[in-house]
Amino acid sequence: MTSLLDIQNLNVSFRNYGLRSNVLKDVGLKIPEGGRVALIGETGSGKSVTSKTILGTLPDNAVVESGTIRFDGEDVLTLSQGKREAMKGTAFSIIMQDPLSSFNPVFRIGRHLDDVLRFSDRRLGERSNSADRRRRIEQVLRQVQLSDAERVFDAYPSQLSGGMRQRVLIALALLHQPRLLIADEPGTALDVTTQDEIMKLINRLVSDNGLSLLMITHNLGVVRKMADDIYVMRHGEIVEHGPLKTIFRTPQQAYTKALIAAIPPLYGPGVEDQEAVEAEPIISLSDVSKSFDEKLLFGRGHSHLAVKDVSLSVSKGEIFGLAGESGSGKTTVARMIMGLIRPTRGAIAVDGDAVGEKGGGPDFRKLIQIVYQNPGTSLNPKRTVGQTLSVPLRFAGLKAGAVEKRIHELLAHVELQPHYISKYPHELSGGQKQRVAIARALAADPKIIVLDEPTSALDVSVQKNVIDLLQKLRDELGLTFLFISHDLSLMRNFCSHIAIMLRGEVVEAGEPRQVFADPQHPYTRALIAAVPVMSDEEDRLKPKTSIEERRRYLADTAV
Amino acid sequence: MQTNPAQLMLKRLVGFAGVMFVLSAMIFILARIVPGDPARIALGPSATQQQVEEMRLEMGLDAPLWQQYADYVWRGVQGDFGKSLISGRQVSDEIAALLPATLELVIVTVLLIIAVSIPLGVMTARYRNSWIDNAGRFFSIVGVTMPSFLFAILLQLIAANFLSDWPVLGRVNYSLDLPDGPTGLLLVDSVVHGDWQVFRSALQHLIFPSMALAMAGIGQITRITRSAMIEHQRRDHVLTLKSFGVPDRVIVFRYLLKLSSIAPLTIMGLEFASLIGNAFVVELVFSWGGFASYGLESILQKDLNAVMAVVLVSGFFFVVANLVIDIVLMVIDPRLRFKEAN
Repeated sequence: MTSLLDIQNLNVSFRNYGLRSNVLKDVGLKIPEGGRVALIGETGSGKSVTSKTILGTLPDNAVVESGTIRFDGEDVLTLSQGKREAMKGTAFSIIMQDPLSSFNPVFRIGRHLDDVLRFSDRRLGERSNSADRRRRIEQVLRQVQLSDAERVFDAYPSQLSGGMRQRVLIALALLHQPRLLIADEPGTALDVTTQDEIMKLINRLVSDNGLSLLMITHNLGVVRKMADDIYVMRHGEIVEHGPLKTIFRTPQQAYTKALIAAIPPLYGPGVEDQEAVEAEPIISLSDVSKSFDEKLLFGRGHSHLAVKDVSLSVSKGEIFGLAGESGSGKTTVARMIMGLIRPTRGAIAVDGDAVGEKGGGPDFRKLIQIVYQNPGTSLNPKRTVGQTLSVPLRFAGLKAGAVEKRIHELLAHVELQPHYISKYPHELSGGQKQRVAIARALAADPKIIVLDEPTSALDVSVQKNVIDLLQKLRDELGLTFLFISHDLSLMRNFCSHIAIMLRGEVVEAGEPRQVFADPQHPYTRALIAAVPVMSDEEDRLKPKTSIEERRRYLADTAV
Repeated sequence: MQTNPAQLMLKRLVGFAGVMFVLSAMIFILARIVPGDPARIALGPSATQQQVEEMRLEMGLDAPLWQQYADYVWRGVQGDFGKSLISGRQVSDEIAALLPATLELVIVTVLLIIAVSIPLGVMTARYRNSWIDNAGRFFSIVGVTMPSFLFAILLQLIAANFLSDWPVLGRVNYSLDLPDGPTGLLLVDSVVHGDWQVFRSALQHLIFPSMALAMAGIGQITRITRSAMIEHQRRDHVLTLKSFGVPDRVIVFRYLLKLSSIAPLTIMGLEFASLIGNAFVVELVFSWGGFASYGLESILQKDLNAVMAVVLVSGFFFVVANLVIDIVLMVIDPRLRFKEAN
C-alpha cells in the first residue's frame, strides 16, 4: 500500500532566548491513501507541532533540524516557498480545534471563506469571480449540513453557535477538496452531543470523498470511532503505533496502558459505584427559578429564564453531580447555592439556614467554597502559592504564625511538597495548579465544596489523580461535593447522586447506577448515547435513541 | 436575543447628558469656592463697596446658591454663559470667535496622529525587534515623555534657524483676504471659496503647532497599536488563515489591522482630553489666538465666567469626540452592535 503522507526521522526544535529544546525527536508516521490515522498524546507531547510542521505553519523560532515529510512521494520540506504555499488548503487542509477563537470577530464568516478560496484559486492559476466563489462556498456549507448557507455566509462569528462555527471550520478545510484532512481535536471545545455530530460528519465526509485523515486528539473514545491506525506520542517521540484494535487490546508500553486505564468507563465491570448516602440534607432547593433581565433604558426588556422550578436536595457527605450541556443552567444553580446571585423565585437552604438571609457573610463563606474549571486563570499569576493560600486564611482571622502552619497543612492535604509554597503558578503543571486551587477552597475549612468542571482542562491521566485526591479528601474531612460537569463517564464513577439539566430544568435525577442503566428522559438517553466510549460492549449497553428524539432535544443535530 | 444599535446609542446619549450635568455642577461649585468676589474682579480694585454691591445684585449673586446654579444651567443650555468679568462682552461671543481656530488645530492634530501612529504601530509590530521596531519605540517614548511645549519651542527654533520661509506664528498670513464663513475653519472655508492661497498659508501655519500637539498622542497610539497587533497575531484566527495560505499582507493589513484598531481608537477618545490641555500651552507658544489660549488667559485673570464656559465647552467636545468614536467602534466591531443578552 502506498503512503499518501510519509514522515521519517523528523526532528524539530524550538529556540527560546538562546536555549534549544527538541520538541520532536525522530518522529515517523505513515498515512496510507484513504486511511484514517490518529495521533494521540497529552498536552505538550508534540502532536500539534507535528501537524504544524506538515502544514508549514510553525512559529518563527522553530527549526526543522532533519527528516523528511513526503506527500505523494515528494518531500514538502525541500519544496520552494511558493509551491509549499500552494499545497495549503488544496493538497492538505486542517480543521482547527477551537471553533470559538478561530474566526476574526470583526469580519463576516463569508469574508474568511472567500479570502481562503480566492487566494488558493489564485495560487492554482484559476480565475474566479466573487459570485462564482460565493456559489461554490454555499455548496460546501450545505455539504457540512449548514442548511441556511446564505445566512451563515453573511453572519459574524459571534452570531453562530459553537457547533455551527465548527462546521464552518470543516467547510473551510473542504473548499478545495484536499487529499489529506488534518483534524486537530475537532469538537473537543463543544458539548458532547455536538461533538458526536461533528465526528459523524467528518467520518462521512472522509468516506464520501475518499480523503485521508490525520486525527490529532487526546480523547481515546473519539479515536475508536475515527481511526484505523494509532500513533501514541509522548515527549516528542512516537512511543507506540499499530492498528487500533491491537493498541486498544494489547498495549505494549506502560504509557499507553496508563492512558487507557485512566479513562473512566461508562458501562461494564470496571465501573465504580459510589455508595448512596443516607443523611440529613445539607443543601436543599425548592422550586427555585432565576431569570435574567436585559436592562434597557426605555421600554420593556426581555427576560431570559435560566433556571426553572428546580428542586433538589443534597445530603451531607454526598457527591452530588449536576450534569448538562453549556447553557443548561447548572452554573447558575451553583452560583445561587453559593449566595453569589439571588434566585428570582423559590427558597434555598444551606446547612439549615436560608441562603438569602446570610448569603455573603463570613460565616457563610466558611461553609461553602468553590474550585473553578480552569486553574490557569483562577490563580493570580503574580502571586506565589503561599500568597494565594494566605488570603482566605487572613480573611478567616488567623495570625501570621498560624497562617504559615495551616498552609503547610493544606499543601499536605493536596499532596504537594512544602517547598511549593514559594512557587508561582507558571512553574506548576495543570494538575498541580488545580491542587493549589483545591487547597485554597479547603483553607476556610468548609463543609461543602462546589466543583465546577474541575478536571475538564486537564489531561485524562491527571484527571484521574485529581479525582482520587478529591475522593480521599471527602473521606478524610467529611466534605460534601456539588460536582458540576458535562463529562458523563466521569460522573458515572465519581458521583453518588446525579441530576441532569436541560434548558434550566432538572429532567432526571437519581443514583448513577439507575440513571445510566435505565434513563427515563429522552434527553438523558441522547446525552449518554453521545459519550465516546472505549469498547463495543459499552456501545451496546448505551441507551438507544431515535433521530427524532435527538432532533427534539439537541440544538446542533443536523437535519 | 439582541440589543438594537439605536437603543445602545440612546443609552450613550443619556450618559452624555449626565456627564455634562456633573461637569457643570463641579465647575460651578469650584467657581464659588475659589477666593475672590466675581463682582470685585469685574470692577477692579478702585470700585467702591457700593458699586460692588450693585454689581452683585446685577449678576444675581444675592440669590441662593441652588437658584444661581439652576439659572446658570438654564442659560448655559441656551448658550449664554454671562459676561466676561474682564472685557464685559458676552463670553459666548468671545468663544464663538476663537473656537474654530482651536477646532481646526485639534482636528488636524487628530488626523496627523492617526496617519502617523497606526502605520508606525503596524510596522513596528510586523518587524518586531528589528531596527524599525527599536527606532519606532524610541520615537514613541520620546513623544510620550517630552512635554508638548518643549516640542513647540524646539520646532520654532528649528524653523527659525533652518526653514526661514516657514511661518511659526499665527494661524494664517493675515495680509491675505480671509474667506468669510461658513465654518470658521480656514482649510474648509478656503476650499469652499476656492481660495488656494489662503488654503496653502493656513496649511503651512498648521504644520508646526499640530506636530507639537500630536507628538504625545503619536507616541501613545503607536505603542497601543503595536501591542494590539502583536497580541492578535498569536490568536487562532490568524493561524487559521495562515494554514490555508492566505498571504501575510492580507492577514496583516486587512484582518489584523481592523481588529487592532479598536484599542487605539478607544484610547484616542481619552487622548482628546490631554489634547485640549496641551493646546492651552501650544497655542500660546505659536500665538495661535484660539479658544485654548483664551482659556489660559481667563484663568490667569480670574475671569470666572469665562473659565466656566471654557471648561464646559471643552467638556462638551470631549464627550462629543467620544460619542463619535463609539459610533466608529460600533461600525468596526459587530460585537458592540449586536450585544448578546447576558
